[in-house]
Amino acid sequence: MAAEDLPSEFDVVILGTGLAESVVAAACSRVGQRVLHVDRRSYYAANWASFTFNALLTWIQEIQAESLSEEVQDRSSLVEEGEELIYLSGSDSASISNLQVFCYVSEEAEEEEEPANTTEEEEAGAAGEGAAKEPSETESAGSKEEEAGEAAEGDEQAAQEQGEEPEADQPQPSAPPSQSEPTRKKISYTQLVKEGRRFNIDLVSKLMYSRGSLVDLLIKSNVSRYAEFKNVTRILTYRHGSVEQVPCSRADVFASRQLSVVEKRKLMRFLTSCVEETEEHQAYNGRPYLEFLREQQLGDNLQHFLLHSIAMVTEDTLTEVGLASTRHFLRCLGRYGNTPFLFPVYGLGEIPQCFCRMSAVFGGIYCLRHSVSCLIVDKDSNRCKAVIDSRGQRISCSHFVVEDGFVGADRKVATPTRLLSRAVLITDASVLPGDSEQQVSLVTVPPTDGRPAVNMVELSPSTMTCIPGTYLVHLTCQSVGSAYEDLSPVVTRMFCTAECQDQENRPAVLWCLYFNMADGSGVEPEGHDLPSNVYVCSGPDGALGHEHAIKQAESIFLKILPEEEFCPPAPNPEDIIYDGENTSPTSIGEEEEEEGLTAAGGEGEEKQQEQQEEETSLQPEE
Amino acid sequence: MDPRYDIPRRAAGGGGGGSANSSPALGAQSRRRKMPPRPADFKLQIIIIGSRGVGKTSLMERFTDDTFCEACKSTVGVDFKIKTVELRGKKIRLQICLTVTHRGKGRDYLAGSTVTLHCQERFNSITSAYYRGAKGIVLVYDITKQETFEDLPKWMKMIDKYASEEAELLLVGNKLDCETDRIISRQQGERFASRISGMRFCEASAKDNFNVDEIFLKLVDDILSKVRLNVPEIHFTQCIHCLVHFGSL
Repeated sequence: MAAEDLPSEFDVVILGTGLAESVVAAACSRVGQRVLHVDRRSYYAANWASFTFNALLTWIQEIQAESLSEEVQDRSSLVEEGEELIYLSGSDSASISNLQVFCYVSEEAEEEEEPANTTEEEEAGAAGEGAAKEPSETESAGSKEEEAGEAAEGDEQAAQEQGEEPEADQPQPSAPPSQSEPTRKKISYTQLVKEGRRFNIDLVSKLMYSRGSLVDLLIKSNVSRYAEFKNVTRILTYRHGSVEQVPCSRADVFASRQLSVVEKRKLMRFLTSCVEETEEHQAYNGRPYLEFLREQQLGDNLQHFLLHSIAMVTEDTLTEVGLASTRHFLRCLGRYGNTPFLFPVYGLGEIPQCFCRMSAVFGGIYCLRHSVSCLIVDKDSNRCKAVIDSRGQRISCSHFVVEDGFVGADRKVATPTRLLSRAVLITDASVLPGDSEQQVSLVTVPPTDGRPAVNMVELSPSTMTCIPGTYLVHLTCQSVGSAYEDLSPVVTRMFCTAECQDQENRPAVLWCLYFNMADGSGVEPEGHDLPSNVYVCSGPDGALGHEHAIKQAESIFLKILPEEEFCPPAPNPEDIIYDGENTSPTSIGEEEEEEGLTAAGGEGEEKQQEQQEEETSLQPEE
Repeated sequence: MDPRYDIPRRAAGGGGGGSANSSPALGAQSRRRKMPPRPADFKLQIIIIGSRGVGKTSLMERFTDDTFCEACKSTVGVDFKIKTVELRGKKIRLQICLTVTHRGKGRDYLAGSTVTLHCQERFNSITSAYYRGAKGIVLVYDITKQETFEDLPKWMKMIDKYASEEAELLLVGNKLDCETDRIISRQQGERFASRISGMRFCEASAKDNFNVDEIFLKLVDDILSKVRLNVPEIHFTQCIHCLVHFGSL
């Protein structure tokens, strides 16, 4: 089927479907701009995407294979008098690096009789050399494929594989899962692949602050109707070799068994006093928050919780910053649940898609597998007047929004790239088993030995991101070295991997992925040498919330359309009348009231409402 | 106190499809705050997919509004409709979602497959998120157009990839009113559906209102028969939209 040509004129053309770009698309379409939104990739959300297990393996393969430099086609024939071309980069493969995969579950080696010949070697290799092994472009994907045979001990086996996808692609024999060895985990690699579509693995690990800019925007624009959300149910911290629960709501504090009565009173008093800024607080401005905390004489326990799990700042962070962060945390408590955070069902990759849908509903046109090769700039005004797409079609536009990765290096201010270190683990149990298996937890791992603080998010199957019997664990930190170097120490301390099999009561890692991603907050879009009507969106940043991307999207929108409202509420479909003559609105009193609900069960909601009204967040004491 | 009623509901903004979005912006005062008489027992999401021009919007509108508009332009800003039905003694609220289509973007488009309909589906760019949570999927083809039937495997591939395994599938051959122009036989449709486990098949006409209610109700019935009534299948999730007012203001 011949590919159809796009219309040749739009108001706004957007390249890249990451979060900021998608919000801009929705905002522009919403106020009537003609938007063309494309992405070179075959999936939405760019580096914010989430993947099924199988799709993730494909993604890994694509990243590792991306050494081919795309031929830059000469488009000068499309340029007219008084115009010049700016070429864009063919891909943004530079944003992901240091990809490493470790698989700790047995393959279903039903025909294989051979013993684990390479296993021990590989384990040593994994521990020691892992850091040095960077899948460079010269290493072809899937060239090495060590199969873990049945080890004599019958315990966990390791197979270090770079690019396991050939396994995934091969038709799996229908032999039943091997239960012959008494392993603790019953999940095999085959099962992971077979049920792989039930995983939704995000490239980005964040949480949604209940009063953060993303939640506020979702509510304001009604984009929230396209998604469902779960409460993050626990805040945990890693301390003295074990995982502890952090009491953050009043109910938690009262119920906590780790705090003494005195500590509880002190904590409540402190948190209450934090809510308003006082002179005492101001006296500490410019001094470290840690110092402020020490002088409150709260004790080590409380100090730890407050610094690392509530304010989530470092020891040298200033008091005013630490207090602001603490206040934000407290304000977000209790809006929907016991912690300040929500998490979208099916993963964070849904969120950009929701905004894209809103854009499409208001007329935005979407094309995946489609890119923009270059910009046509008017020499006199130095404004971009058109783009040339990957098919060579000239499309005029008034504004162009582009993901940072596609801007050619020659146009950017040379800033040292900051990176984020990421790890994704599939595990078989929670780091802190509780009464419910469906907990969604944030674990803060404080900085140690010069290593940065690590944020860990543990997702249960109720988030629809992993299969029953497993948990999906995301780790993030600012990079010091490669992701493996930065995060594997935490992984080996908190989980059971092939490298350290001693602690049987820790959850086992079945499979894990390490990679580095460019830190979007390190990008300075103002510094780019680009026409004034070209706007650059940076990729994901390392903060826990989405402020950076949302603020950036709003700022770009206001530059494009300073007079317009940013994402006003989309009308309820039932309020829109088809028939032109009938101008009276649909009565709100209709029984089929659109409640914007995406959860089921009237009774369930009622209960939920009652719970909220009981109000477990901290209130100033009377 | 439900602040969601305070949100001024304006009609879709400017430009867009340019169709009849003339509802005035409503302020908070003109809202009557009325809670629904009895909340629905179940809320189900149904999506309708299929190639362009097969009649997805018409089927939905016939079911939800009992209207059929041959020359209607799709209103910009509509992507789903709600209808509540009673089945098996339960009140079920259906949210029926459409892939987004737009007609009449300042040009003179004709209905039919030769036209340039610009939308996510047109350029094969439907989000995976669209398939989430759908308990029922209605896959539609046009009995008078061969290519809409030949496209079915492509849609099945998307369903296999993104939709829940438990979603009920229904294949609908639409435009039964055009019997004289029929190209796809009923047997062909039946045969296609029979190859997919659990997929039902029927033919309908949105124009003549033939079989439309029946197919949606049958679909919902199938969905309900799978739901274990004592264990709510749909998980306890938050709706941040409706819970706005439970946090402090």
